[in-house]
Amino acid sequence: MTPDAIPQTGGYMIAAYIIAAVILLGYTVVLWRRGSARTKS
Amino acid sequence: MGDLVRHAWLVARKDLQLEFRSRTAITSALVFTALVLVVFEHGRDPTAVSTIDLAPSILWVTFSFAGMLTLNRAFNAELENQALDGLLLAPISRTSLFLGKLVANLAFVAVVQVTGLLLFTLFFNVPVWEVWAPLVTVMILATTGFIAVGTLFSAMVVRTRFAELMLPVLLLPFLLPPLIAAVEVTAKLFAGRPLSEVVGWLRLLAAYDVAFVSLATLLFPATVTE
Amino acid sequence: MTLLRRGRWITAISLLLLGGIYVRALVFTPEERLQGLAQKIYYVHVPSAWSAMLAMGMVGLASILFLFLKDPRYDRFASASAEVGTAFSLVMLTTGPLWARPIWGTWWTWDARLTLTLMMFFMFIGYQVLRGAVADPSLRARYAAVVGICGLVLLPFIHLSVYLFRTLHPMPIVLKPSAPSAPPAMVITLLSSFAVFTLLYVGFVIQRYAIGEHTHDA
Repeated sequence: MTPDAIPQTGGYMIAAYIIAAVILLGYTVVLWRRGSARTKS
Repeated sequence: MGDLVRHAWLVARKDLQLEFRSRTAITSALVFTALVLVVFEHGRDPTAVSTIDLAPSILWVTFSFAGMLTLNRAFNAELENQALDGLLLAPISRTSLFLGKLVANLAFVAVVQVTGLLLFTLFFNVPVWEVWAPLVTVMILATTGFIAVGTLFSAMVVRTRFAELMLPVLLLPFLLPPLIAAVEVTAKLFAGRPLSEVVGWLRLLAAYDVAFVSLATLLFPATVTE
Repeated sequence: MTLLRRGRWITAISLLLLGGIYVRALVFTPEERLQGLAQKIYYVHVPSAWSAMLAMGMVGLASILFLFLKDPRYDRFASASAEVGTAFSLVMLTTGPLWARPIWGTWWTWDARLTLTLMMFFMFIGYQVLRGAVADPSLRARYAAVVGICGLVLLPFIHLSVYLFRTLHPMPIVLKPSAPSAPPAMVITLLSSFAVFTLLYVGFVIQRYAIGEHTHDA
């Protein structure tokens, strides 16, 4: 899939996409839980 | 307008008198300056690194330290004497109060920086005297900018927890543009570059000063209004 | 529908769309010749930087409005935007070096954009630390507003000074990761990603604002 001429930098791409997803999903979870805690009280 | 200046001067004078009586901060500033000079001189390989390459960095490390020390001194004085509360009761405008503090801080920093510069010229063989005018100009322009923001922030930070930690944390991003410009200009001056190359940076510094001295003056009342 | 639920819906939809962007960027967007796969980090890094800057701009704007109008809702909004901005800054600061490393050979450089992003992050952190350090709500709001406004005014200066610095000191960069003026497929992916990240900002901020309302703690 990747011809020789192009540098093999896929690892960085995967790492970046995963980290970004983790941060954004993580923050989503944080907000969700804080929201639920408020509405219950 | 006359009142503004007179009151500001009264505030400045009070602050300066307090400091020159104790002289603690200025002593530590000078000791630090000498220390930095000695460390850098011994840390370099004279065949590999010329003094001129290091000079701008050395100077501005020392100068920014002088600035931080000034701001710390200013708010420590506040902390101890709760002087700010007292001043707020006085019949002077908030603007005079701020300008007075700013002037005092600038005067103090100037003394430390000039002394540091003199020590620097004594110990290092760098052509300072040929460029003393633009050098002093950049010192004034760069320092004024971040001292203005620092004066504003230290007034606020006094009333917070972890005050001593807060000030450098908040101030860091504001140090960046003046310091970058200052080091750049100083490097070019020592390297004997024509003045035309530094004019752009000086303009940036001037713009920064105008923006932040005005902003800080405008915003200061918001930090002390009850 | 309460504000919180609305925020949650918007966030959920944005996250779904983000998934779509991921698929599109990773699978359906052509690979760039010179940089390889790492170039695709662009589609996440740049929009997150945009969201962070949007967040900072909103903090500044809300701060100005608060000082003039004295309405605590603006302060609450500023607080929300700062927290959301921190999250996006984190994405920006982690994806940036992961992109820089294979392309420039170094994790970090003090070029205009990276320095600006780092300083923005520090400003978000400083802003929130300040908020945490002041007990009285009215004082906290005023102090935060002052810092917020100063931060906003600072941004162009940081950019200018670092940009000036770098243009006069050309870096030996072999590859210049500029915006793809190239294949439409890439441009579309990038623009779509911008839209999704903006929507995600909105969803996050609404939620965070709603939470702040409930706790009256901002």
